[in-house]
Amino acid sequence: MSEIPKNLKYSKDHEWVEINDNVATVGITLHAAESLGDIVYVDVNSIDKNLNQFDKFGEIESVKAVSDLYIPISGKVIEINEALLNNPEFVNEDCYDKGWIIKLEINDKKDLDELLDSEEYEKII
Amino acid sequence: MKKTILNSRHKNLDAKLVDFAGWEMPINYPAGIIKESSFVRESCGMFDVSHMGRVEVSGKNAKSFIEKILPIDVNSLQIGSAKYTLLINEKKEILDDLIIYKISEDKYLLVINASNTDEDLEWITKVNDGVTINNTTSYTSMIAVQGPEALDKINFLSNNSIKDLGRYKYKEIKLQKYSIFAARTGYTGEDGVEIICDNNDAENIWDLLIENKIEACGLGARDLLRIEAGLHLYGHEINKDSNPIDIGLSRLLESKSKHYINHDYINGEDIKNGTESLAGLVMLDRGIAREGNEIYIDNKIIGYITSGTHSPRIKSAIAIGKIEKDYNNIQNTVKIKVREKFLEAKIVKLPFYRRKRK
Repeated sequence: MSEIPKNLKYSKDHEWVEINDNVATVGITLHAAESLGDIVYVDVNSIDKNLNQFDKFGEIESVKAVSDLYIPISGKVIEINEALLNNPEFVNEDCYDKGWIIKLEINDKKDLDELLDSEEYEKII
Repeated sequence: MKKTILNSRHKNLDAKLVDFAGWEMPINYPAGIIKESSFVRESCGMFDVSHMGRVEVSGKNAKSFIEKILPIDVNSLQIGSAKYTLLINEKKEILDDLIIYKISEDKYLLVINASNTDEDLEWITKVNDGVTINNTTSYTSMIAVQGPEALDKINFLSNNSIKDLGRYKYKEIKLQKYSIFAARTGYTGEDGVEIICDNNDAENIWDLLIENKIEACGLGARDLLRIEAGLHLYGHEINKDSNPIDIGLSRLLESKSKHYINHDYINGEDIKNGTESLAGLVMLDRGIAREGNEIYIDNKIIGYITSGTHSPRIKSAIAIGKIEKDYNNIQNTVKIKVREKFLEAKIVKLPFYRRKRK
């Protein structure tokens, strides 16, 4: 079964977030990557935008289906994983490391209360 | 949900199983759709296609019955040969596309789509006049072995039994100790062999093929491969109300026989007056066009997508669309409405992929 890193927080929409000071790194979980299958496009059109928690920040598309990406925590998108745009298979290969999607400047750490820890996330998948 | 005999094999391989026409079938294994499609293009893959309907038509009237229900030239179909054809009812509705194999002068095998099996059988039974119709789907299994190494692998396991087997021919052979029906047919655009065997042997044959480094591939890869090869899928490129000529299948309307139920339709003038055609589309923008998406030229809808996927061979998203004939010019650029966005694509000649012949 999918391994769920303990140091991350999770949304019910299967995004993960890693917090380093006031910067959050966001990607999709292994469970999401496995159910989508081979990813062929990752599109993010929200660079420099301020987004509310759970706003759409892009789309991820596999051979089988397309899904919206939702931001797990409010903030301003400051960086996109450029390597991923040309190598979307990174999400399938390693969704928690080289498959990260965006980084954002956190507005309010209280948003984290809305997210799940690894044990809670494991229960919903 | 119905299960094929190989269901436990798919589960052991950790396949992702989905409902396909009422059957629990593998859409992909852990390798994933793209890698599985490459096994078939580059070496050899296999698909459990036991869900497809297998129906035997036999009896001394079998040949005249086939002549009555199918648009093939029944006299040109030899024993040991197969043909791709259409099943069209008396209302000119296409019920299915299928492969017919001639077993003997008084016996034929039809391999039909899983999703259409019940309706096909209902109609065939309704127009039956003295033949025996035997649905063998539940006691036989079917495995499609496909790819440039497929023939060599099957020859290796069968003491070169299919060394001289031509395209669209079949032979009853021994694969090691197992009796199989081996047909040089397929649905991927690659060379290959479709095996039909007794249910009792299916798991052993599957294991034998796995031991011989034939990779298990799911229906997701099969769909990708058939789109690359420009092959029709019933319910997508072929529908009940399709005009066979419009969808590029005029070559299948061979019959001149007055005994064919649709003789007047296929030999008449009306069938030539269709307005649609199938187009190959290569996406220029990022994104996959999906079935049902509208296709535009100059803000006018000219058709819609019938199938779409991502092609590792073309290295782009590709699609097949049904569009107005007048606009079907190669290099024409169109816009496709995909989830509220308009994505650009160019019209290309089908198929997207053609295998290199030896």
